[in-house]
Amino acid sequence: MADGAIASHYQVLEELGRGSFGVVYKGIEKATGEVVAIKHIDLESTDDDIQDIQAEISVLSTCASSHVTQYKASFLRGSKLWIVMEYLGGGSCLDLLKPEPSVFSESQIAIICRELLTGLEYLHAEGKIHRDIKAANVLLSETGKVKLADFGVAAQLTNIKSQRNTFVGTPFWMAPEVIQQNGYDYKADLWSLGITAMEMALGEPPHANLHPMKALFQIPKSAPPRLEGSFSKDFKDFISQCLMKEPERRPSAKELLKHRFIRYAGKVEALQELIERRRNYDFTKSKKRSRPVYQETLQTMSTKDEKDEWVFDTVRSVMSRKATVKTRGPSSVFATEDALRRLDLKDGPLQPSSPASGTARRVTSRRQPSLAQMIGTGSVRGPPPAPALRKPLQTDLSFGNSGSSQRLFRRVPSDSSTSGNISWPDSNDVFTNENKTPHAVEANSKEAMLGRRLYSKAVDPALSELHAQTSALAKREALAKLSDAFAALDAVDPEGAYHMMQNLMANMTQDHRLSNAFLQSTTPLKSPDSGTQSGTVIIKSTPKQEVPSPAKLVLASNNPHLESHRRRRGSTAVEGNGSPRKPADREKAALLAKYPGREPQPGMEHSKKITDLVYGAWVNGLRMRWPEL
Amino acid sequence: MSFLFGRARTRTNTLDLSKQAREHVLKLEVPGKGHQVGQLIVFRGPICNGVLLTLLVASPESDSTPDQVYQLVQGLIEEDLLLLLAQHLWRLPFESRKDTQVIFSYVFRFRPPTASPKTDPVALSYVVNNKPQVLLELCRGYEHKESATPAGSVLREVLKSEAAAAIILYDDGEEPGSSLKGVTAIERERPQSGSGVFWRFFDWIDKSSFEVAADAFTTFRELLTKHKDLVPRYLAVNFELFFDRYNHVLVQSNSYVTKRQSIKLLGEILLDRSNYNVMTAYVDRGEHLKICMNLLRDDRKMVQYEGFHVFKVFVANPHKSVAVQKILLMNRDKLLNFLSHFLEDRTDDEQFIDEREFLIKQIRNMPPNPVPPARQMPQGP
Repeated sequence: MADGAIASHYQVLEELGRGSFGVVYKGIEKATGEVVAIKHIDLESTDDDIQDIQAEISVLSTCASSHVTQYKASFLRGSKLWIVMEYLGGGSCLDLLKPEPSVFSESQIAIICRELLTGLEYLHAEGKIHRDIKAANVLLSETGKVKLADFGVAAQLTNIKSQRNTFVGTPFWMAPEVIQQNGYDYKADLWSLGITAMEMALGEPPHANLHPMKALFQIPKSAPPRLEGSFSKDFKDFISQCLMKEPERRPSAKELLKHRFIRYAGKVEALQELIERRRNYDFTKSKKRSRPVYQETLQTMSTKDEKDEWVFDTVRSVMSRKATVKTRGPSSVFATEDALRRLDLKDGPLQPSSPASGTARRVTSRRQPSLAQMIGTGSVRGPPPAPALRKPLQTDLSFGNSGSSQRLFRRVPSDSSTSGNISWPDSNDVFTNENKTPHAVEANSKEAMLGRRLYSKAVDPALSELHAQTSALAKREALAKLSDAFAALDAVDPEGAYHMMQNLMANMTQDHRLSNAFLQSTTPLKSPDSGTQSGTVIIKSTPKQEVPSPAKLVLASNNPHLESHRRRRGSTAVEGNGSPRKPADREKAALLAKYPGREPQPGMEHSKKITDLVYGAWVNGLRMRWPEL
Repeated sequence: MSFLFGRARTRTNTLDLSKQAREHVLKLEVPGKGHQVGQLIVFRGPICNGVLLTLLVASPESDSTPDQVYQLVQGLIEEDLLLLLAQHLWRLPFESRKDTQVIFSYVFRFRPPTASPKTDPVALSYVVNNKPQVLLELCRGYEHKESATPAGSVLREVLKSEAAAAIILYDDGEEPGSSLKGVTAIERERPQSGSGVFWRFFDWIDKSSFEVAADAFTTFRELLTKHKDLVPRYLAVNFELFFDRYNHVLVQSNSYVTKRQSIKLLGEILLDRSNYNVMTAYVDRGEHLKICMNLLRDDRKMVQYEGFHVFKVFVANPHKSVAVQKILLMNRDKLLNFLSHFLEDRTDDEQFIDEREFLIKQIRNMPPNPVPPARQMPQGP
């Protein structure tokens, strides 16, 4: 493939960070020696249409402005998509806000705003809307050049993991008209710019103390935020211009470039001070952090058992093969799976606290990611590093191009095993089978395996989700510490994690208030039969109610937006109602237990209706096609 | 250059302008003059495009009147500028390529102010009837990575017209009944030779770099899913050729994206109601089932998953052909075992779990020996 060859044009260096979209590496283009940032997106870990990613890449590739992070190339390597971007060594504005006093000076903000407005002017003239302006998406080069990052791709690629993350995760920067969903245009970017300016002046966006969901309701309802305190009149006016609630009254980027606050802004070189500040901060923190180096995953060795192949040849006897037929995985894995299902039921109350595990689109399959090793540890067989080295949630601020630091580690949860076992004695086994369950070697008791799973499936996703939704610095730090602590426990003693959770559960059951608060929702599930009943009734009856006439259904199924749903719902299991469905129902019950808080979320309730509707349409379609089925 | 701008500002004689633009683009072709010519193109391309743009897009800034735009569109047609632009798209500089894309979409959408909105846009209907080469050249934009994206987006917009889609599907060079002589000359019942521009898509999708391949695939998908009369008929007539290439080039491509996307599209094509006859013919073939069953065993989980959605059509078919039954029966125990553990970690995909259960039940309940299908399905679509 042509693509394979392109990859060899780049030398991949250390890891820069992890985002919801995958891992970002620093790299060098061999021919030119230019430093680049390379995003690796594992397409295997997404159910979504690759077409969406491609559409966003083609948008990105048509942007050429010195104020927008330059897209360079993209190509495939196996199931990984590499996106090569300009490397920006100064870090994001959010990174730069970290060191005391955690704000920028007015003159620095004016410079950044001017540069951003120039970038927006370009994008808007091209008919493009950024949609996600915030400090985390503003990158600086080492010389202080300001560039818009994560344009399009980020928005899109974030969507892959979870729609919620984009919409609910960081709503503080959203314009009222975006939240109200009655159509918005490029003016929305200018609202977000105003919020970003406040973020840089105050350290966090307005409403940051609120839960993101609450902020979502507050923003359209309340008067536009105002900049209070000892700031200049020009700055305050600039903010109030950006934060006009009616988009028509909000000035365009072009107009704002003429604003007094912007006109007298200084040179970008003044921003180097911020980068310097950040460097000192890192230095005093003395986190000589060693970052994992990219290491090539060798071609997966074929795990196929010859005996396992299909028989298409009539000569060979089928019966004789029967005994040798192998199942696709070690049975121990199935045992765990079963145990976990039981755990889900029994320990259901644990789930509500873990919003991430409820993400419907999450792909539960985890593959051993490409092996990464620590720089400088020399011997890979050395002892595990102090757990403190691992900062799963803290943003690693000594680099740029990590995309949004807010999202930086969101995807870590399910993949966390990588960093967790980076220096585990077995980790230099480069031939690790990609599909092997992580940690299978280390966790050998059932409790340990459950503990591991508890961490990777419940605790870590929950923490990262929470972290991603939290904008206050202090709170983020605290969460990060908690996450670190749990990671450490997981690395050293997964069994301990299991027992801790067991005891926690037991104690909670004993306290009447706690059990009411956390354990209540699972009561009906205590008896699997009744839970099954209700689960089935709710789900199966909906499509029939939602579907009044076949004519309407045809219409719905023609809707291009429903294409993918339709396909998935293109069930052949039409008559599956009659078949024994116990295991599926058990799953369903377990799943329902995970979702108690999800129904009312905006954007979620209608999708259920849509899928039901489309499903119903397909059922009818199939009946018409094969009536005797 | 200032001369050109002068024209633009005074807005006289727009026909002249398209002539001049033609000359500029023609200069791209002059070989041997080397560097200087190249420079000239880089220099003038944007300018003539820019002037065309300001005139075409009747905005308050350009204050061109609809009449002038109409004249200009006519001029572009008469001077054959669309063909030239399509041919030379890849040579133009970055910004010019974007401008050219806008020019194309604008011209192809343009209707004279007096025309009813139901009629085809003038330039499009001219191209479809008299100059199919323009569309074919746009497809050939996939030969170069520079022109792939702009040509692709123009194509996808144009393909909303069934006639334009027909031009691309039925291009067969100089063969009688090829679309080269216009949409009315097409003979739909004549099987394609496989050398027309449509068949080039298979190579573009399989062999190009990610950006080009993915764009070509998006256009390919549009071509095959948009028009519910045109495509089923086309697939019926060209069944063997199409699915042979599809299965061997795309479904078994070395590129992960091509493989995964084309399996998904195959499922979409088969499950589209308008393709019912194509589907029944497809699932009758034992060969097709074999390819599909091998996909279930692919190294990549998402390939397995997409493969499953094609496999289910074979199993759910109540009139399975003897060949299909034989394969399923021969592998019955393996399949039952395999499916019961197939993609087990998809625990939150209810639909999938239900379907998997259904398939297991279907396979388990098959009679021990192949039975000729109760209702003979039409042989061939």
